Amino acid sequence: MPDTEFKLARTGDVAIVTIDNGADHTKPTFFSRGALESLDRVLDELERTDFTALVLTGKPFVFAAGADVTEFPDVSPELAREGSRAGHELFTRIAALPYPTVAAVNGACLGGGVEIALHCDARTISSGVRHFACPEVFLGIFPAWGGTQIIPRLVGPETAVKFIVANPLRQNRMLDARKAHELGFADALFEPVEFLDESIAFARDLAERGGLERPEPDFSELETILRRARGDVDDSVHGAAPGPYRALDLIEGAATWSLEEGYRAEEDAIAELLPSRQAQASIYAFDLVERRIKRGVGVPDAKPRRIERVGIVGAGLMATQLATLFLRRLEVPIVLRDLEQATVDRAVESIRDELALQVSKGRYDEGKARFLGSLVSGATSYDVFDGCDLVLEAVFEELSVKQEVFAELERVVSPECVLATNTSSLSVTEMASGLEHPQRVVGMHFFNPVALMPLVELVRAAETDEITLATAWDVSKKLRKRAVVVRDAPGFVVNRVLTRMTRVLMDALEHGNTVEETDEAIMRLGMPMAPSVLLQMVGPRVANHVLETMHDAFPDRFSLSPTLAGFADGRDEIVVLENAPKPVEEITDAVLEAVADEIHRLLEESVVAEAADVDACLILGAGWPFFLGGITKYLDQTGVSERMFGQPLADVRAGAPA
Amino acid sequence: MTSKLILMPRELREVYYVDGVRTAFGKAGPKGMFWSTRADDMAVKVVRELLRRNPGIPPERIGDVIMAATAQVGDQGLTLGRDVGLLAGIPQSVPGFAVDRMCAGALTAVTAGAGELALGAADVVLAGGVEHMGHHPMGEDVDFNPRFVAERLVDTSAVTMGATAENLHDRFPQITKERADAFAVQSQQRAAHAWQNGVMGETVVPMSVFSEEGWRVAERDEFLRPDTTLEGLADLRTPFRPGGRVTAGNSAGLTDGATACFLASDTAVDELGLEPKMRLVAFAFAGVEPELMGIGPIPATQKVLDQAGLTLDDVGLLELNEPFAVQVLTWCDELGVSPDDDRLNPYGGAIAFGHPLAATGVRLMAQLAYGFKERPDVQYGLTALCVGMGMGAAVLWERA
Repeated sequence: MPDTEFKLARTGDVAIVTIDNGADHTKPTFFSRGALESLDRVLDELERTDFTALVLTGKPFVFAAGADVTEFPDVSPELAREGSRAGHELFTRIAALPYPTVAAVNGACLGGGVEIALHCDARTISSGVRHFACPEVFLGIFPAWGGTQIIPRLVGPETAVKFIVANPLRQNRMLDARKAHELGFADALFEPVEFLDESIAFARDLAERGGLERPEPDFSELETILRRARGDVDDSVHGAAPGPYRALDLIEGAATWSLEEGYRAEEDAIAELLPSRQAQASIYAFDLVERRIKRGVGVPDAKPRRIERVGIVGAGLMATQLATLFLRRLEVPIVLRDLEQATVDRAVESIRDELALQVSKGRYDEGKARFLGSLVSGATSYDVFDGCDLVLEAVFEELSVKQEVFAELERVVSPECVLATNTSSLSVTEMASGLEHPQRVVGMHFFNPVALMPLVELVRAAETDEITLATAWDVSKKLRKRAVVVRDAPGFVVNRVLTRMTRVLMDALEHGNTVEETDEAIMRLGMPMAPSVLLQMVGPRVANHVLETMHDAFPDRFSLSPTLAGFADGRDEIVVLENAPKPVEEITDAVLEAVADEIHRLLEESVVAEAADVDACLILGAGWPFFLGGITKYLDQTGVSERMFGQPLADVRAGAPA
Repeated sequence: MTSKLILMPRELREVYYVDGVRTAFGKAGPKGMFWSTRADDMAVKVVRELLRRNPGIPPERIGDVIMAATAQVGDQGLTLGRDVGLLAGIPQSVPGFAVDRMCAGALTAVTAGAGELALGAADVVLAGGVEHMGHHPMGEDVDFNPRFVAERLVDTSAVTMGATAENLHDRFPQITKERADAFAVQSQQRAAHAWQNGVMGETVVPMSVFSEEGWRVAERDEFLRPDTTLEGLADLRTPFRPGGRVTAGNSAGLTDGATACFLASDTAVDELGLEPKMRLVAFAFAGVEPELMGIGPIPATQKVLDQAGLTLDDVGLLELNEPFAVQVLTWCDELGVSPDDDRLNPYGGAIAFGHPLAATGVRLMAQLAYGFKERPDVQYGLTALCVGMGMGAAVLWERA
């Protein structure tokens, strides 16, 4: 990546500094070490020259995307402190310039980008900006170039808490320009078309007027705000990650500290946090889902087929969700088929209701919704699938039923039509075995709720050909999902790991532990949801069905659970086989070991190429936290992998001998 | 309305020039200040400045947006007037179109708009032009019909403007390289002087542009060479002919630039309370030998004077384009105007500013309008250009 430079130009007696790396907007500017050196040089010039104002801006579409995360892995406490201090020193020099300074936020402005802008006297923002945020807490750290100190002083502690802590914890939510302006981060909002010209005029005007009046921040409710914020952080990370807590402490300190004291506190905290297990795992996880997975590991280089008509077999809840997703993202005719016309009609109606809802939210105009609604139809006969380019089945999880469905489909569709299954655990290879053209069968395992969960496990069966897999990848991308290619194996990745974990928890319950204890064993790791709650969401019947499938394949590790079977039948009682409860820590350890063992087996069996792919699946499909790095990063960091396999899981390659 | 048009003789309306602006003119090519800026964005900039400076004209009252470009592809494609109108934030209800008459593009946008105003098709028209010669080198993508050569319809030199300028020296031997150079020096000096007085401040819009050096503001013409001397020009290369007379010093360079102006009918002027700067008296276009395209303004000027019943003595300001010094000198000699006459290009010309083909016409008008303000004694003024493939264009104006 090209290094970012600060480039100085002038118009009249106004200095214009551009943050630029010489590449287009697809390569955002980061504040690497080299960038800070360049800023140092430009500051020398700015301090030497008698300008009347400074306008600091970014290359087209990007203001600045913050620190260079690639410099973070394995950083030492000393280096972390130095990095923070370097930023403090340089940005303080911007704040100390003897003439008015204006940050003209023309595009994406993240983390350190926000912080450098905050060291200017005023900020203008282009109404086209959609990404204005400090995402550091999302990565297990906090804004350590003055963000925690200046933001509360500028916009008050309540907005600061939301901006620095709450938003990053809510799927890294970001502000758009209008919101940033409304909340007081920016002093003026200008249209993109003449943004810089208007910002220069704003700076000239500021120089003439001598300054801006801003309301004093109100710290009177600080205590309440922080108490509530700490409670919210507890709910989301359960004490398992220190980043958000330290961020709150620093925001609290801003009420009483001098800026100088605040900067020292940021430096102390970052020296501790950046090298921490959680931050390092978060940075790993971020790179994983943003780079590795988007690149598509194991996706063949074949040209995907065009998909202009999609069939969904089934019209139940899952099928309806899938049909809605395909319709909204692909905007092609969708046909559904179920046994009863009434079921189909209900599904079609519910899809059109969803479109109407989108209209009321202003996402579609009525004509578009009407058109999309007209693309959905369904019947009880397989004939509706005639002419489909892809048919996805979402019927009952029974191998023989699914085989029948595929056999019926093959009679109607062309030999090129992709046949996909949304099975969560059955063998895709067996599903395809009786077909004339088994090479066009692929697994596309979506997660519930389909609209929210980003993962699709793309299952490559024994005979799946390249063009089929490439087509499924392309479709997943168009559905705006993240796909991970897995080899056909019982339960694939997510269900296999989760079921192995469930088995350990059931075992504890069946030996006298309480649900509170098993929940605690998982929550203390920082998982987003208690396993008992998750079980209710998935449905005990489904969970037990998956366990049965896993049991058929691996009876030794996946013994059947009388308790789960009872839950599945609606009996709300734990079958205690033996009263020998374990301490909670032991349950946690047992879960971690079982999960590590199962992941090692996934690698031995070449279900995925690397442990990283397992982590991606668990993060995107099960919501496992960044600060565990999925899970293998945590297992490696805490020595579990070393103890069990004599090496970190990160070093294990697919097909490695046990 | 309909019955009125059918039953009554039509009354033409007067057409007024209200206001006009341009960008600074940049050198075409990777080193020029507009290299990383889109042509349509440059046009949008001048249009928005015009809207801002004329708050008395509600944008929805604009009847048409007419934009000229010689190369109507890429960032100058998509029927530019419409494209620019939408990008500038003019309401969707306002239509637009693109015109091309090469160097007289913006001038033709103005006369086309004048037609709409005179006939009552529109009350206010926005007209201008843009040429990003860096993005669109002259003649690129042109498929020259082989018949032109096979049937000797035109001389092959007609397509190379510099070659047509050399042809003028051949045809008019009294116009020497020395005279051309002297005219170029005068143009540079007058332009340098003009950049010190108010005319550029009033007609040139600064625009921030992105470049390899980051953002900067395009606020000054890049071709200006105030220290140009006769000696300095004497030894320049003659790129169009070995031993020729046309050099980079006595011609306009390849230029990026955009212009736009507001025109309004007399009724709109009254209704909106506008203060127009000029009244359009007459306009004319003429055709000449393509290989001598530079003489085009001579018949165009004669035609427009005939229409108005005036002679050149009645005209106190003459804004002529200067693609080549020799081209202006042919006009001077033919019409009996001394090249150093202070009516002629008092603020300098394209040799100093540059000539972004289809944009130039409105630059001439904007400078003429300023000239009327500076010279209260002047009643009539002329804007004229020569046009590739052998044409001339002229508009005669009266102070409003």
